[in-house]
Amino acid sequence: MQGTFAHHLSEAAVSVELETEGMTLNIGPQHPSTHGVLRLVATVDGERATNVRPVIGYMHRGYEKLSEVRTYPQIITIINRIDWVSGFANEVPFVVAAERLMGVEAPPRAQWIRLVLTEMARISSHLVFMASYPLELGAATPLFFALRERERVLDLLESVTGGRFHPNFNRLGGVKPVYAAGPVTKKAGMDIPSGFLAETRDAMTKVLATCDEIENLVAGNEVFLARTKDVGIMPADIAASYGVSGPNLRASGVGFDLRKVSDYLPYGDFDFDVPVGRNGDCWDRWWVRLEEIRQSCRIITQAIDGLPSSPLQAKVPRIIKVPAGETYVRAENPKGEMGYHLVSMGGLGPYRLKIRSASFSNLSILPWILEEALVPDFIAIMGSLDFVLGDVDR
Amino acid sequence: MSLELTFWWLLAIKLAVAAAVVPVIGMVIGYAEMKLSAHMQSRVGPYFAGGRFGWAQLIADGVKFIQKEDIIPEEADRPVFKWAPALVMLGTMALLVIVPVHPSPRYGIVRDLEVGIFYALAISSVSTIGVLMAGWSSANKYSMIGGLRAAGQLIAYELPLVLATVGVVIQAGTMSMQGIVSAQVAQGWPFLLTQFIGFAIFMIATLAELTRLPFDMPIAESELVMGYVTEYSGFRFLFFFLAEFANMFSMSVIAATLFLGGYGLWGINPETLFSPIILFAKVGILIFLMIWLRWTLPRLREDQLQTLAWKWLIPIAIVNIIATAVLKVVL
Amino acid sequence: MTASPSESTVSEAADALEEFADRVAAAVGGRAEVAHGTVKVRVAPSAWKEALTVTSGDLGLVFLSWLSATDWTNEVAVGDEPDEPVEERYELLCAVSDLSDGNLAIISTDLDHDSPSIPSVADVYPGANWHEREAAEMFGIDFVGHPDLTKLYLPDSFEGYPLRKDFPLLSREVKPWPGKVDVEDMPENGGGPSTENPGA
Repeated sequence: MQGTFAHHLSEAAVSVELETEGMTLNIGPQHPSTHGVLRLVATVDGERATNVRPVIGYMHRGYEKLSEVRTYPQIITIINRIDWVSGFANEVPFVVAAERLMGVEAPPRAQWIRLVLTEMARISSHLVFMASYPLELGAATPLFFALRERERVLDLLESVTGGRFHPNFNRLGGVKPVYAAGPVTKKAGMDIPSGFLAETRDAMTKVLATCDEIENLVAGNEVFLARTKDVGIMPADIAASYGVSGPNLRASGVGFDLRKVSDYLPYGDFDFDVPVGRNGDCWDRWWVRLEEIRQSCRIITQAIDGLPSSPLQAKVPRIIKVPAGETYVRAENPKGEMGYHLVSMGGLGPYRLKIRSASFSNLSILPWILEEALVPDFIAIMGSLDFVLGDVDR
Repeated sequence: MSLELTFWWLLAIKLAVAAAVVPVIGMVIGYAEMKLSAHMQSRVGPYFAGGRFGWAQLIADGVKFIQKEDIIPEEADRPVFKWAPALVMLGTMALLVIVPVHPSPRYGIVRDLEVGIFYALAISSVSTIGVLMAGWSSANKYSMIGGLRAAGQLIAYELPLVLATVGVVIQAGTMSMQGIVSAQVAQGWPFLLTQFIGFAIFMIATLAELTRLPFDMPIAESELVMGYVTEYSGFRFLFFFLAEFANMFSMSVIAATLFLGGYGLWGINPETLFSPIILFAKVGILIFLMIWLRWTLPRLREDQLQTLAWKWLIPIAIVNIIATAVLKVVL
Repeated sequence: MTASPSESTVSEAADALEEFADRVAAAVGGRAEVAHGTVKVRVAPSAWKEALTVTSGDLGLVFLSWLSATDWTNEVAVGDEPDEPVEERYELLCAVSDLSDGNLAIISTDLDHDSPSIPSVADVYPGANWHEREAAEMFGIDFVGHPDLTKLYLPDSFEGYPLRKDFPLLSREVKPWPGKVDVEDMPENGGGPSTENPGA
């Protein structure tokens, strides 16, 4: 015993500096703020992380493989489930990709309906962020304000598509004909439900009012500012090289929005701004999303004012075979760039479908951005990236 | 009040009342928090239990907690883990001993200590040890971080809490709780008017001591799951739960006594039975304030919390003491 | 770009795409293909890393959209076989984009089907790190020089490469997918569910 004590003593004399050892902290896969089943293996020294390793795959459902044994209409059902917070927006780039290979274009009214519902999906997705982000920082009240409005938007989505989360509403060459009130005969009377336009206009006013309310409640809050300003700064070049897209990239000062430069939906007909942040910190990411809700309301209001009339469905064969070829169509989804690389060999289903999901790339920056971060900032930073695990794991 | 009881009988009854206050207060404040937060968030809150307004919700919750299995983690330090909630509760109950609800020296207070406020501040630190014990003995990293955060936070805010009361003690010239109240009753106005800085610091430090938002990092459910109470279940969890609300009550009572004139109100004779009602009304206002803040503010970060305590509250409190002392001598 | 673009804007857009494709192909020394609005530039495997270095640098295609692969084979365990025989290979694809005009190019290269191997580009585009890990576990492609080529989605003990065409979907082996050929007739031809609104 004495020997060991002397040994310890001599060791203590040699290393004057106190040796400390990092603690491995497992955050997740079951944790209140990992939005599903993300796991972070963090080595922390006190409250500061020295190394963070995200572990994903707890929700891998193999959609790319499944798509190879499904027909095109069946795949629309699957891909709804990728980013389940904005299910509708997932469908659009896929059907556009298939339509491009088929050489078919959806009629204008169908395209405008797709556009309106995509923007509604964006509003509902961003409202979830508006609800969950302050909650992660400890403020519970904005949750209820935001979710109340989201319910309004989801009701509208449901009235058209029949589904709140998984609309399964797009068809190759158009959208699903909706049975308006009353019995229908053949194709007559198939359209969006009566009263939808008026209700939408009303709902958009209310959503805008709630945006102001949330801004008052959250943006003027000193504690919220202290927690988000200059936290988790993401320079634009680093973000781009990691493939971070959407609001997260725009918060870093890059005014890049696929709605402005791509033609997967007729966004060129609309007047809207692309909000851009300055510092790329958590606060900017929050602000950009709030502003995007307002812009989406603007787009929807314009769209329902000028909804063109045309059939909802282009002429397509009964059993759809997509001609051989390959294309990549990407869309500006609420979470960022979502795209489908579709390789067809002329069969009933794709030969290969690569799904490019936004959250996957947005999350891949975590090891970089969480390095040297404080544990409380983990939550602030992760929450501000607004990812959905279904969108990460596919 | 003609009934004459022996000292020991009276003490036993008063202690029993003080002990019974804890669960009752816990339920009343818990229910108030549920309902108030609900209405702040356009919800209804408890609705069905008890028939109307869900008034029996907390009783039902209590019954539920007692029925639950008492789970102790295998790796836990069992005696420490078991005694931690009791220690937290002990500190809370002991605080109620010096709460004056009426000027009568026999019936208005359990024990009117000469060093009343000193005792209160000292005994409120006992729950810190309980929290540390809970965090350390749970054999859970989240609990341990929560416990360490709690220790750092409670030590940091103990200082501004003490310093904020010094101004009042200087003005009243006594540390006895009864003495402080009667000083305010005698002069006709509460110390809030002169010690408003002290009051603000006291309330902020109180929120931190209670580990309520915006200072709830030791619990921080989005970071640390539930902090030092992560591993607790059933009856032991209920202890923490009740202690939080009872602590809210006792700290509010101390704040009301020190700064708001206790049971005294201008124009009302404190010798009547209105006195406890006046005190509880003041306490109610303070508790409402705490609940309001709880459901409005996000959570600060640990370093921001320490900055606030050491760089702002403590210097301001010291300046306040010096100013009070100088003015006391001069005037 | 509108819902019904005029002929001129369509051809203008197509010209711009061709021009962009040629520019990328010339810079990276590859062969450009433009089809269905998608630019694909084929490079040799030996030029893969060099090509992506050029795109991330001089060409200004700084945004990494995705990186993945396609298994071209004539013997498939699931899905449709190619109608015409294809050359057996893995096609490695990396989509990169600029952040101003939305020009996106897919850089592509063919890997040997027996032992696919390619230098990693995780140091050129840091975001390729996870994409390469995914391609490695799904297709069995070896990315030489990758900092941490462990499994991304799958459990460490998983054997096989699921997105290879010869990897069977076991549930489909047991029971063929009944929906594969969905020949239910449309309602107006007298088949399928009633056209009457059930709520009416």
